[in-house]
Amino acid sequence: MKSAIFSDWAEWLPRLLDGLWVSVQVTGLSLIIGLAAGLLLALAAFARTRLLTWPAILLVEIGRGMPALVMLQLVYFGLPSVGLTLETYAAVVLALSLTTAAYTSEIIRAGLRAVPDGELEAADALGMSRGDVMRFVVIPQGLRIALPTLLGFAILIFQISSLAFSLGLPELLSQAYSIGAATFRYLDVLTLAGLLYLAVTIPAGWLVARFERRLSRHLTT
Amino acid sequence: MNQAESILSLRDVEKTFAGHCAVDGVSLDVARGEVVAVIGPSGSGKSTMLRCINLLEVPDRGTITVDGTDLDTSGTVSARDLTQLRRRVGMVFQSFNLFPHMTVLRNISLPQERVLGRSRDEADRRSMELLERVGLQQKADAYPAKCSGGQQQRVAIARALALDPEIMLFDEPTSALDPELGLEVLAVMRQLADTGMTMIVVTHEIHFAATVADRLIVMADGRILEQGPPQQVLDDPQHARTRTFLSAIKDR
Ligand SMILES: Nc1ncnc2c1ncn2[C@@H]1O[C@H](COP(=O)(O)OP(=O)(O)OP(=O)(O)O)[C@@H](O)[C@H]1O
Ligand SMILES: [Mg+2]
Repeated sequence: MKSAIFSDWAEWLPRLLDGLWVSVQVTGLSLIIGLAAGLLLALAAFARTRLLTWPAILLVEIGRGMPALVMLQLVYFGLPSVGLTLETYAAVVLALSLTTAAYTSEIIRAGLRAVPDGELEAADALGMSRGDVMRFVVIPQGLRIALPTLLGFAILIFQISSLAFSLGLPELLSQAYSIGAATFRYLDVLTLAGLLYLAVTIPAGWLVARFERRLSRHLTT
Repeated sequence: MNQAESILSLRDVEKTFAGHCAVDGVSLDVARGEVVAVIGPSGSGKSTMLRCINLLEVPDRGTITVDGTDLDTSGTVSARDLTQLRRRVGMVFQSFNLFPHMTVLRNISLPQERVLGRSRDEADRRSMELLERVGLQQKADAYPAKCSGGQQQRVAIARALALDPEIMLFDEPTSALDPELGLEVLAVMRQLADTGMTMIVVTHEIHFAATVADRLIVMADGRILEQGPPQQVLDDPQHARTRTFLSAIKDR
């Protein structure tokens, strides 16, 4: 019986790994796009650029307030009604990017704010320009402060990417479901899928923790 | 004092925070090479006055003249004037405020590169020169967290000096330090005064004020209460408030 499960697992594994690869891809793309947007939103908020603040706040509040599942459905089913039809893949990446941007902009903003005021004053007193102060003092330290939380969020968005199964994107969970539908062995295949998620998230979590310790080396007195 | 020979003048400088007047019409002329010590009770506006000089606080009223260049602070100050002013006026803070993610050498070289446009080599050479002067060349590659408070403050002094300022402002540079670490900072400041640097030093170090400063200013309630040669102010204060304040700090 045991060996039967393992031989089934071996049979399912290639499809599930294909699915895992899709999950990793959409997660990676969403993180790249979402983090870039999140950084811009955070900088706009930090600089208190009036023109940008209002739309930025709106975007952040909507992005954080809306469940990721609703965001996915809205982008996929909602955007066509305003004339924008996206492939499933693109819709998933867009929705997850929006969620990522909203959350990470807050995380980054908190990091930027955590840079002590005294250092900003010192930089000002040295005659450094606003741009230089951001570039050399605030952003490097703010991102460093935000990094562990950002990496934690990256792990979370990888898990959240499983919601894309609701749009039929052939990622890990969808693959598991369709194998389950064909074999009626839902529990077995979902267990294997779950293990594959854990095989990514647990080591990633360890790496984040190690990284965090390394980063704080110079900063502790 | 003749205004022509003063390198820094404040005229009727006023700064109000939420209805509270932190600096209440201060006028002051500082001669080139003069060392001015400023004392006064907490909240008397010492820091605010100092911060008005390099426009970390923009005064509500009054003019600041640095080496003949007027800044009428009631209008808006252009970014160019501001940079010019800050190149000429260096500042050292109570809390050092080094950039913790950069080595000691980078802390001193980066502003030179960004503000004065010096090359990396040129900046590093100047930084090493100054580190030697403050006795810390061996710390060039260390991060600030690996330096004692006294060492960090000496690095902060070197960082400000690296921009070749004409005036140095010190806001309680030794208040955050243990006495023996404070001494090494005071020694560097004393040396700096000997080279002829114009300095304004807010301090509770009466001994430093008495022996290094050319003039001692006592502030209270945002105004200059009295001023004069340090020995004279210390030995024969004209105001009862000065006497109370002096006996309070001497008794510590
Ligand atoms: N940014 C600020 N916002 C509001 N009030 C301020 C601000 N900075 C200073 N003040 C107020 O202005 C007054 C003068 O403060 P200042 O820091 O200049 O005093 P100080 O003489 O340097 O005192 P200390 O010896 O404690 O450093 C105080 O009443 C203080 O509360
Ligand atoms: Mg003060």
